[in-house]
Amino acid sequence: MEQALVVENLKKSYGKFEALHGISFEVAPGEIFALIGPNGAGKTTALRVVATILQPTSGTAHVYGMDVQKDAARIREIISYLPEEAGAYKNLTGLGYLRFMAELFAADTAVQREYIQRASDITGLGERLRDKIGTYSKGMTRKLLLSRAVMTRPRLAVIDEPTSGLDVVAAIDIRESIRGTAAEGMAVLLSSHNMLEIEYLSDRVAIIDKGTIHDVGTPQGLKDKYGKANLEEVFVQVVKQ
Amino acid sequence: MLTWQTLIPILLIMVIYSFLGRVINQEQEKQAAPQPVTVVDLDNSQTSKMLAGILTNVNFKVTTVTEGVEGDIVRKVASEKGTAVLVIPQGFQAGIQARQPQKVRTYTIMRSFSLLGMQGTFRLDAALSAMNEYVGDTYIRTGAPGLDADMIKHAISAQSFVTVGTISAEGNPQEIVGVVMQQTMIIPIVLFLVIIMAAQMIAASIAGEKENKTLETLLSTPVGRGALVTAKMMASGIVALVSSAAYMVGMRSYMGSLLGSEGGTSGTASLAIQKLGLVLDLRGYVLLGLSVFAGIMVALSIAVILGAFAEDLKSVQIIITPLMMMVMLPYLITMFVDINTASPVLKWLIYAIPFSHPFMAAQFIFARNFTVVGAGIAYQFALFLVLATVAARIFSTDRILTMKLNTARRGTSSGGWPILRLVQSLFIRRK
Repeated sequence: MEQALVVENLKKSYGKFEALHGISFEVAPGEIFALIGPNGAGKTTALRVVATILQPTSGTAHVYGMDVQKDAARIREIISYLPEEAGAYKNLTGLGYLRFMAELFAADTAVQREYIQRASDITGLGERLRDKIGTYSKGMTRKLLLSRAVMTRPRLAVIDEPTSGLDVVAAIDIRESIRGTAAEGMAVLLSSHNMLEIEYLSDRVAIIDKGTIHDVGTPQGLKDKYGKANLEEVFVQVVKQ
Repeated sequence: MLTWQTLIPILLIMVIYSFLGRVINQEQEKQAAPQPVTVVDLDNSQTSKMLAGILTNVNFKVTTVTEGVEGDIVRKVASEKGTAVLVIPQGFQAGIQARQPQKVRTYTIMRSFSLLGMQGTFRLDAALSAMNEYVGDTYIRTGAPGLDADMIKHAISAQSFVTVGTISAEGNPQEIVGVVMQQTMIIPIVLFLVIIMAAQMIAASIAGEKENKTLETLLSTPVGRGALVTAKMMASGIVALVSSAAYMVGMRSYMGSLLGSEGGTSGTASLAIQKLGLVLDLRGYVLLGLSVFAGIMVALSIAVILGAFAEDLKSVQIIITPLMMMVMLPYLITMFVDINTASPVLKWLIYAIPFSHPFMAAQFIFARNFTVVGAGIAYQFALFLVLATVAARIFSTDRILTMKLNTARRGTSSGGWPILRLVQSLFIRRK
């Protein structure tokens, strides 16, 4: 079966600073794959390259067989990207924002309506969707953005720090949404430095630090391999080695 | 998105122009109204009374006082908001009859030092000149009866014509220059405001997208990067177009109120100005509008490029500083230097700055120099295309996210100099 994402020996430099030192991993369709690591590990850079908004210095990344550099425009049609702490246009209402984004993805108004309906259902914001985004809490905005990210049924969703800065209830809602949409066949590449969240959410995990992937496996597999009770302890041991 | 923040500056342009036109018009009408003068006639003779009558004829509102202490009267007039006092000393008529030069004393009460306010102070000279005319006429009539006094004093008179291009019209050159100056001197100030507002708007829109991370989301959607830049430019371009239209409407109303006033501009001068084409006709408005629009579009494309350096809304002000300096430079240079007589180097430097052209367009249109105006507009649009291509190129690579001002040295040697920081930023530091 064709992989949703294949990253091979990917390097990315900012001037003289090399943020990624040649990372490789694969994500299967319907799989939730997480990059875990501390701040500055290179997670966001890797996600931005896959989302086609940064160009790799060397190496390759293929989304459903398409190259992120050569086929960027086609890839953008089948993926969605949710940056960490992303905002929305505060002067728009929630519905207005969903409509605006739907128009960017589909020319057909019937398809646009379907996207908006799907996003409205996922957000659970109800009538608040008619209010301006400027009046939303951080959790509400994140739910809106996540629903926007999955409303087009992307084949690969790239989500950076999905629950960063959210309270427990909002974080659980977001995780449930991600799991629910992945169950429908969407591949998910996400990043987080919240190891416990990843343990609950992910099918497989890559431990990344200082631009290098140190190990890849299922949360249970990694815990067994290193004889640790949770992913945090696994991470500390892997990084120390 | 159309918000009050975008509409207010546009409305402001029209309001500023209309307000300025009305204020200047009112001031001119005030100046044209009879100027009050208090004549302290200490001679109380037939000649002195005649002089007071002559002042009335030359548009003074005369109040005559025949007794009192000169200093006290001046203080009283000043306290009653009078503007001028003319003292005719005792023995004035006798001195005139003895054909000895006489002195009158004038007091000008200064309250305003504005350009129009100052004009009122000079009209005492007109009063003195009218009085001398009368005395001279009296001498000629008594000394050489039968001769026409007016012919003797004004044996040669001039009929003044002003020529612009191939058209000549009768009128006082100084008065005509004055009116044209009033029309053109306001252009750079308002244009400066329009350009800075439009540029700030687009730079802030890019910086805002970066700060809120909506830009990253947009860049990952299936919308072409060129289309994104074009959409940004078009949105700001529409604002610019509406701004230029508002600018033209405001200017028309401003000029209309200047030329339509009965106060400031004399009938002859008004006719001459019309005949010489020193008011903008449809072609003039179109050319000036195009030049202003092209200037704004150039500013917008520079603002897109500068905006790409901005990390957040706070840094927009610093980012936009070089553009503001570029807009101000031709304004300051053309204020002190005549482009026609400037050295070739300076002349080409002025022409090279795209914002010089809208500043100078009105002057060239008045001088019928349409080639320079047309070439200026063509140059502006060509420069706009080059800059827009550079902007699109920045958006089509990851530089839009990685370019930023080198703020690491803020607070050190170049910390307080935004322009130096921008120069530093040419050595791009990437995140």
